[in-house]
Amino acid sequence: MKKKLQLIFVAIIIASFFAYNYIYQDHRNISNESAVFTTDSKSLSDEFKNNIQDSETKYLNKTIVIKGEVSEINTTDLTLNDLIFCSFSQSMSTGLLQLNKQITIKGRCIGYDDLLEQVKLDQCTLIN
Amino acid sequence: MKYITLAFILLFTSICFAQDKYITKTGVVTFESSLLAFEEVKANNKNTTAILNTENGEFAALVLVKGFRFKNALMEEHFNENYAESDDYPKATFKGTISNFDLKQLSNNSTTVTFNGSLTFHGKTKVLENKTLNILMPNDNTISISGDLKMNVADFDIKIPKAVRKKLSKEIAVTYSFMLSKK
Repeated sequence: MKKKLQLIFVAIIIASFFAYNYIYQDHRNISNESAVFTTDSKSLSDEFKNNIQDSETKYLNKTIVIKGEVSEINTTDLTLNDLIFCSFSQSMSTGLLQLNKQITIKGRCIGYDDLLEQVKLDQCTLIN
Repeated sequence: MKYITLAFILLFTSICFAQDKYITKTGVVTFESSLLAFEEVKANNKNTTAILNTENGEFAALVLVKGFRFKNALMEEHFNENYAESDDYPKATFKGTISNFDLKQLSNNSTTVTFNGSLTFHGKTKVLENKTLNILMPNDNTISISGDLKMNVADFDIKIPKAVRKKLSKEIAVTYSFMLSKK
């Protein structure tokens, strides 16, 4: 009888451990994920302009690596070729970045902004 | 023929110059639907695009729903999959006009103005009438717009399962803050 109780007790502890880990699971870490698609700013933007819905199904919430030329730099975001908006979780060390320089960036695609006609990425990290 | 071309060039340039726009790509939109004693249900989106046309007070904002970040990763997943259904409805938009907008009347002091417009989320559009927002112009190149809205979950056809109905407020408090710069 005592053994049975002990067993139930241990089972409850294990179950609550898994439940806790499920409820308080970590966020995705985009910088550690490997990219599902690798492309450049022009072709990604063209793809969205040609067919927004299909591109959304294909790219939304996916980790993408993009190559492009820096056209705008701010403290927590930058824009590639005026086509791809990349937002960073932390402020970047802007010293490394120069306008018109070719860079490669990894981030999560959150969608297409039709007001400015730009594809938006968040949680970006600079690769190169 | 010459005159027509000239007329077109004049018309085109006047259109170009007439468009005085203030833009942000990093506007902040936050919503909260928490109830006391239950876990905080709150998310913010720091990558909202907003455009203000200072010629006529027209204002547009676009939120990419996937860009809403929650403290709790599972809550974020459930929000996207079950409530906002962001795969099917990736965008939330606002289009509207600030009443009696006059750029010259803006100053460094915050003023409250009224606006009308419509908010679209989860494929449903809700008309907003005579709502207020705060607007100020700290310098010639910047206009700040901020405010809050109370929305109802039912307005956007979002179904809340019985199991969590008691933990979620039916009213959602939305706050927004945009620092628009001249383009």
